[in-house]
Amino acid sequence: MPYREKVAWLSLVGMAVCYGPYFAVTHQSPLLDHPLPNFGLMSLFAAAAVGNAVWALLGRLLVQMKTPRDERGAADERDQAVDRRASTVAYYVLIGLALYVGCVLPFTTTGWHIVNSMVASVVIAETVRYAMIVLGYRRGLR
Amino acid sequence: MTGGRIENQIRTLRFLQGEMSQEELGRAIGVTRQTIAAIEAGKYSPSLEAAFRIAGVFGKPLDEVFQWKTGEKGTAPGTRG
Repeated sequence: MPYREKVAWLSLVGMAVCYGPYFAVTHQSPLLDHPLPNFGLMSLFAAAAVGNAVWALLGRLLVQMKTPRDERGAADERDQAVDRRASTVAYYVLIGLALYVGCVLPFTTTGWHIVNSMVASVVIAETVRYAMIVLGYRRGLR
Repeated sequence: MTGGRIENQIRTLRFLQGEMSQEELGRAIGVTRQTIAAIEAGKYSPSLEAAFRIAGVFGKPLDEVFQWKTGEKGTAPGTRG
Protein backbone atom coordinates (compact mmCIF):
# COMPACT_ATOMS: atom_id res chain seq x y z
CA MET A 1 0.00 0.00 0.00
CA PRO A 2 1.46 3.43 -0.94
CA TYR A 3 2.60 5.59 1.96
CA ARG A 4 0.10 8.32 1.12
CA GLU A 5 -2.78 5.87 1.01
CA LYS A 6 -1.83 4.69 4.50
CA VAL A 7 -1.82 8.31 5.70
CA ALA A 8 -5.21 8.90 4.06
CA TRP A 9 -6.67 5.82 5.80
CA LEU A 10 -5.20 7.05 9.05
CA SER A 11 -6.74 10.50 8.60
CA LEU A 12 -10.08 9.03 7.56
CA VAL A 13 -10.28 6.88 10.69
CA GLY A 14 -9.07 9.84 12.77
CA MET A 15 -11.91 12.00 11.46
CA ALA A 16 -14.48 9.32 12.29
CA VAL A 17 -13.04 8.52 15.71
CA CYS A 18 -12.50 12.12 16.86
CA TYR A 19 -15.15 14.23 15.14
CA GLY A 20 -17.83 11.55 14.91
CA PRO A 21 -18.46 11.46 18.67
CA TYR A 22 -18.24 15.27 18.85
CA PHE A 23 -21.03 15.76 16.32
CA ALA A 24 -23.03 12.87 17.76
CA VAL A 25 -22.94 14.55 21.18
CA THR A 26 -23.46 18.15 20.08
CA HIS A 27 -26.08 17.54 17.37
CA GLN A 28 -29.37 18.79 18.85
CA SER A 29 -27.58 19.30 22.17
CA PRO A 30 -28.79 22.08 24.53
CA LEU A 31 -25.17 23.29 24.39
CA LEU A 32 -25.95 24.77 20.98
CA ASP A 33 -28.43 27.16 22.57
CA HIS A 34 -25.96 28.65 25.07
CA PRO A 35 -24.82 32.27 24.62
CA LEU A 36 -21.21 33.37 24.19
CA PRO A 37 -18.77 32.35 25.58
CA ASN A 38 -19.94 28.78 25.13
CA PHE A 39 -17.11 27.06 27.00
CA GLY A 40 -18.93 23.75 27.17
CA LEU A 41 -19.19 23.44 23.38
CA MET A 42 -15.74 24.89 22.83
CA SER A 43 -14.20 22.41 25.27
CA LEU A 44 -15.80 19.51 23.44
CA PHE A 45 -14.56 20.82 20.10
CA ALA A 46 -11.08 21.40 21.50
CA ALA A 47 -11.03 17.83 22.81
CA ALA A 48 -12.00 16.51 19.35
CA ALA A 49 -9.45 18.69 17.55
CA VAL A 50 -6.61 17.87 19.96
CA GLY A 51 -7.56 14.20 19.86
CA ASN A 52 -7.41 14.28 16.06
CA ALA A 53 -4.03 16.03 16.12
CA VAL A 54 -2.58 13.48 18.55
CA TRP A 55 -4.05 10.62 16.47
CA ALA A 56 -2.52 12.05 13.29
CA LEU A 57 0.88 12.64 14.92
CA LEU A 58 1.19 9.21 16.52
CA GLY A 59 -0.31 7.49 13.49
CA ARG A 60 2.12 9.15 11.09
CA LEU A 61 5.06 8.21 13.28
CA LEU A 62 3.88 4.59 13.24
CA VAL A 63 3.27 4.60 9.47
CA GLN A 64 6.69 6.18 8.86
CA MET A 65 8.38 3.53 10.96
CA LYS A 66 6.68 0.76 8.97
CA THR A 67 7.28 2.29 5.50
CA PRO A 68 10.66 2.10 3.76
CA ARG A 69 12.36 5.49 3.50
CA ASP A 70 12.38 5.63 -0.32
CA GLU A 71 8.61 5.08 -0.45
CA ARG A 72 7.84 8.13 1.68
CA GLY A 73 9.78 10.69 -0.28
CA ALA A 74 8.32 13.53 -2.31
CA ALA A 75 4.97 12.89 -3.97
CA ASP A 76 5.33 11.55 -7.51
CA GLU A 77 3.00 12.38 -10.41
CA ARG A 78 0.45 9.70 -9.45
CA ASP A 79 0.32 10.92 -5.85
CA GLN A 80 -0.21 14.46 -7.14
CA ALA A 81 -2.93 13.36 -9.57
CA VAL A 82 -4.77 11.44 -6.84
CA ASP A 83 -4.53 14.41 -4.48
CA ARG A 84 -5.65 16.85 -7.19
CA ARG A 85 -8.76 14.86 -8.01
CA ALA A 86 -9.60 14.34 -4.32
CA SER A 87 -9.15 18.05 -3.56
CA THR A 88 -11.37 19.02 -6.51
CA VAL A 89 -14.23 16.81 -5.31
CA ALA A 90 -13.80 18.00 -1.71
CA TYR A 91 -13.80 21.62 -2.90
CA TYR A 92 -17.22 21.23 -4.53
CA VAL A 93 -18.55 19.44 -1.45
CA LEU A 94 -17.31 22.31 0.73
CA ILE A 95 -18.80 24.94 -1.60
CA GLY A 96 -22.17 23.17 -1.57
CA LEU A 97 -22.23 22.83 2.19
CA ALA A 98 -20.99 26.39 2.75
CA LEU A 99 -23.75 27.72 0.51
CA TYR A 100 -26.29 25.72 2.51
CA VAL A 101 -24.91 26.93 5.84
CA GLY A 102 -24.58 30.53 4.68
CA CYS A 103 -27.73 30.91 2.62
CA VAL A 104 -30.29 28.55 4.17
CA LEU A 105 -29.47 28.02 7.84
CA PRO A 106 -29.66 31.73 8.83
CA PHE A 107 -33.38 31.57 7.96
CA THR A 108 -34.07 28.35 9.80
CA THR A 109 -31.80 28.40 12.85
CA THR A 110 -29.40 30.63 14.74
CA GLY A 111 -26.12 31.01 16.58
CA TRP A 112 -24.14 27.93 17.47
CA HIS A 113 -26.25 25.71 15.23
CA ILE A 114 -24.85 27.64 12.27
CA VAL A 115 -21.31 27.67 13.70
CA ASN A 116 -21.40 23.93 14.35
CA SER A 117 -22.81 23.30 10.86
CA MET A 118 -19.94 25.25 9.33
CA VAL A 119 -17.44 23.20 11.35
CA ALA A 120 -19.25 20.06 10.19
CA SER A 121 -18.98 21.25 6.58
CA VAL A 122 -15.21 21.54 6.87
CA VAL A 123 -14.94 18.14 8.56
CA ILE A 124 -17.17 16.52 5.92
CA ALA A 125 -15.17 18.09 3.08
CA GLU A 126 -11.89 16.87 4.61
CA THR A 127 -13.38 13.42 5.13
CA VAL A 128 -14.49 13.33 1.49
CA ARG A 129 -10.97 14.36 0.45
CA TYR A 130 -9.34 11.52 2.38
CA ALA A 131 -11.96 9.07 1.10
CA MET A 132 -11.30 10.16 -2.49
CA ILE A 133 -7.55 9.74 -1.97
CA VAL A 134 -8.12 6.18 -0.77
CA LEU A 135 -10.46 5.52 -3.72
CA GLY A 136 -7.93 7.05 -6.12
CA TYR A 137 -5.27 4.59 -5.01
CA ARG A 138 -7.66 1.62 -4.79
CA ARG A 139 -9.56 2.06 -8.06
CA GLY A 140 -6.86 3.86 -9.97
CA LEU A 141 -6.79 6.92 -12.24
CA ARG A 142 -7.06 6.50 -15.97
CA MET B 1 -11.44 9.22 -29.07
CA THR B 2 -13.48 8.19 -26.03
CA GLY B 3 -13.87 4.64 -24.81
CA GLY B 4 -10.26 3.66 -25.33
CA ARG B 5 -7.56 2.73 -22.91
CA ILE B 6 -3.81 2.66 -22.75
CA GLU B 7 -2.11 -0.71 -22.72
CA ASN B 8 1.56 -1.21 -22.08
CA GLN B 9 4.32 -3.77 -22.42
CA ILE B 10 6.26 -2.71 -19.34
CA ARG B 11 6.08 -6.09 -17.63
CA THR B 12 7.48 -7.84 -20.74
CA LEU B 13 10.17 -5.22 -21.24
CA ARG B 14 11.24 -5.47 -17.61
CA PHE B 15 11.57 -9.21 -18.07
CA LEU B 16 13.66 -8.72 -21.21
CA GLN B 17 15.89 -6.31 -19.29
CA GLY B 18 17.03 -9.13 -17.02
CA GLU B 19 13.97 -9.08 -14.74
CA MET B 20 14.42 -5.44 -13.84
CA SER B 21 12.40 -4.74 -10.69
CA GLN B 22 9.56 -2.23 -10.46
CA GLU B 23 11.61 -0.44 -7.85
CA GLU B 24 14.59 -0.07 -10.20
CA LEU B 25 12.40 1.22 -13.01
CA GLY B 26 10.63 3.58 -10.63
CA ARG B 27 13.94 4.93 -9.38
CA ALA B 28 15.15 5.41 -12.96
CA ILE B 29 12.21 7.62 -13.90
CA GLY B 30 11.54 9.25 -10.51
CA VAL B 31 8.35 7.56 -9.32
CA THR B 32 7.57 5.02 -6.60
CA ARG B 33 7.40 1.25 -7.04
CA GLN B 34 3.64 1.43 -6.43
CA THR B 35 3.21 3.87 -9.31
CA ILE B 36 5.02 1.50 -11.68
CA ALA B 37 2.77 -1.31 -10.43
CA ALA B 38 -0.31 0.85 -11.04
CA ILE B 39 0.87 1.72 -14.57
CA GLU B 40 1.51 -1.94 -15.37
CA ALA B 41 -1.91 -2.90 -14.06
CA GLY B 42 -3.57 -0.18 -16.15
CA LYS B 43 -4.78 1.60 -13.02
CA TYR B 44 -2.86 4.77 -13.81
CA SER B 45 -2.03 6.39 -17.13
CA PRO B 46 1.37 8.09 -16.83
CA SER B 47 2.09 11.59 -18.03
CA LEU B 48 3.62 11.92 -21.48
CA GLU B 49 6.93 12.86 -19.84
CA ALA B 50 6.94 9.73 -17.65
CA ALA B 51 5.94 7.60 -20.64
CA PHE B 52 8.90 8.92 -22.65
CA ARG B 53 11.20 8.32 -19.68
CA ILE B 54 10.01 4.71 -19.37
CA ALA B 55 10.50 4.15 -23.09
CA GLY B 56 13.95 5.71 -22.76
CA VAL B 57 14.95 3.30 -19.98
CA PHE B 58 14.13 0.37 -22.28
CA GLY B 59 15.63 2.06 -25.34
CA LYS B 60 12.37 1.64 -27.25
CA PRO B 61 10.14 4.07 -29.14
CA LEU B 62 7.06 5.16 -27.20
CA ASP B 63 4.60 3.18 -29.30
CA GLU B 64 6.39 -0.07 -28.56
CA VAL B 65 5.85 0.49 -24.85
CA PHE B 66 2.38 2.06 -24.83
CA GLN B 67 -0.53 1.40 -27.15
CA TRP B 68 -3.91 3.08 -27.37
CA LYS B 69 -6.66 0.49 -27.62
CA THR B 70 -10.23 1.29 -28.59
CA GLY B 71 -13.25 -1.00 -28.48
CA GLU B 72 -12.90 -1.64 -32.21
CA LYS B 73 -10.64 -4.58 -32.94
CA GLY B 74 -7.14 -3.65 -34.04
CA THR B 75 -7.75 0.05 -34.49
CA ALA B 76 -6.24 3.08 -32.88
CA PRO B 77 -7.61 6.61 -33.28
CA GLY B 78 -4.65 7.81 -35.30
CA THR B 79 -4.79 4.92 -37.75
CA ARG B 80 -8.34 5.23 -39.04
CA GLY B 81 -8.82 6.25 -42.65
